[in-house]
Amino acid sequence: MLDALDTEPTAHPVTATFKDTRVINMQSNETPGAGVLHFVIAHRFGRINEGAYSLWGLDNASMRMGFDYGLTDRWTLGVGRSTFQKTYEASIKGKLFLQKSDNSVPVSVTYYGVIMANGLRWQEPDRENLFSSRLSYVNQLIVTRKINDRTSLAVVPSFIHRNLVDITSKSHDQWTLGLGGRHKLTHRVSINSEYHFLVNGLDEATTNSLSLGVDIETGGHVFQLHITNSQGMFERAFLTETIGTWLDGDLFFGFNLSRVFS
Amino acid sequence: MKNTLTFLVLLLCSAVSTLDAQQFISRAGHVRFFSSTPLEDIEAETVQMSAILDAGKNGGFAFQIPILTFHFDKALMEEHFNESYLESEKHPRATFEGAILNWEDLNPTGDWQDVVASGNLNVHGVSQTRTIQGQMQFNAGSWEIRAQFDVLTADHEIRIPKMVRNQIAESITVYVDAVLTPR
Repeated sequence: MLDALDTEPTAHPVTATFKDTRVINMQSNETPGAGVLHFVIAHRFGRINEGAYSLWGLDNASMRMGFDYGLTDRWTLGVGRSTFQKTYEASIKGKLFLQKSDNSVPVSVTYYGVIMANGLRWQEPDRENLFSSRLSYVNQLIVTRKINDRTSLAVVPSFIHRNLVDITSKSHDQWTLGLGGRHKLTHRVSINSEYHFLVNGLDEATTNSLSLGVDIETGGHVFQLHITNSQGMFERAFLTETIGTWLDGDLFFGFNLSRVFS
Repeated sequence: MKNTLTFLVLLLCSAVSTLDAQQFISRAGHVRFFSSTPLEDIEAETVQMSAILDAGKNGGFAFQIPILTFHFDKALMEEHFNESYLESEKHPRATFEGAILNWEDLNPTGDWQDVVASGNLNVHGVSQTRTIQGQMQFNAGSWEIRAQFDVLTADHEIRIPKMVRNQIAESITVYVDAVLTPR
């Protein structure tokens, strides 16, 4: 009798590609959803290779807090503040295409744009300083695919623009290409990783960002614990201002803790 | 000649529809479930249950619920429901297949009459033999059904971790109603 009820399965958008709105540092395709306030508080401690004297970096925490509000199920507005360079952020994120269960749309494509404002006092307050000099911009396309119920991948090309650079020989514009993934170990625990390749390098000191982490979900909270060679938690910083390397132990332990309110 | 032909066609059609009327079907049945704990009430519903009633001798009855169509107020709950609890990609449907035990005693009248359905309830890929109390009435050529029953998460191997056990009830109350029209 059940056969008589069978209909062609309708294609639906794939959900839960990633657990949270971020893979580790970078944005995932996920958004909070209409009317949901997503709050994230994140820390990156000091360098692990500072050694026992500063308890392997735990003495020095850098912090970021962010609020993202879901205007619709697809579009989100966000604000954030990091202790790193006292940076303010305003962002917009939107799902442009959704991966479909029947592969008629094989990937999800999400846009993320953020304006960052450096909040540090002017180094030379006596000369003419423009507010626009504080600003930098990042535009990203986040292309994701949930390969199966455990594994998801992300490819994230980013364009970074600074209004002001510290050395005139530096370019105002950079491109990076990010790769990210998550693999679920259980329903509530996954391992995540991401790597950002500097397409046009800044200078000799700058390195590519590599992060490894674990997501633990507990109902309304997601805990993300990770080790990364980037201390900055906003896009311009971790994409283009990473200076340490994994091999030298220039690593930062950190976490993101997110909570939704609806 | 033309009239005779029309008459014959009409006769044929009515004969076919009489045969078909042996089965009643719905594709827009309403299902709501409710989990209540002191900490949190969780509710979800769908209007995409399909159901079929065989009005022949045995009163065969079946329904099918596409799990992914359940809608929750909170997007995150819906995600957890599909990802962690019901595993909707793996088990996209909940089904019931059985029969109305007292079908022979029912009268096709517009009064709600108590019925007992017995059969296999499959949720999360795990089948349980169930006897479910409900009510039916015959109204304007259609059978209307309604029922309320409890589903124990443990019966269907839906694992609820300790840390959320005080937010998700062990026993979920399910309400079903549908209007089954002649097929």
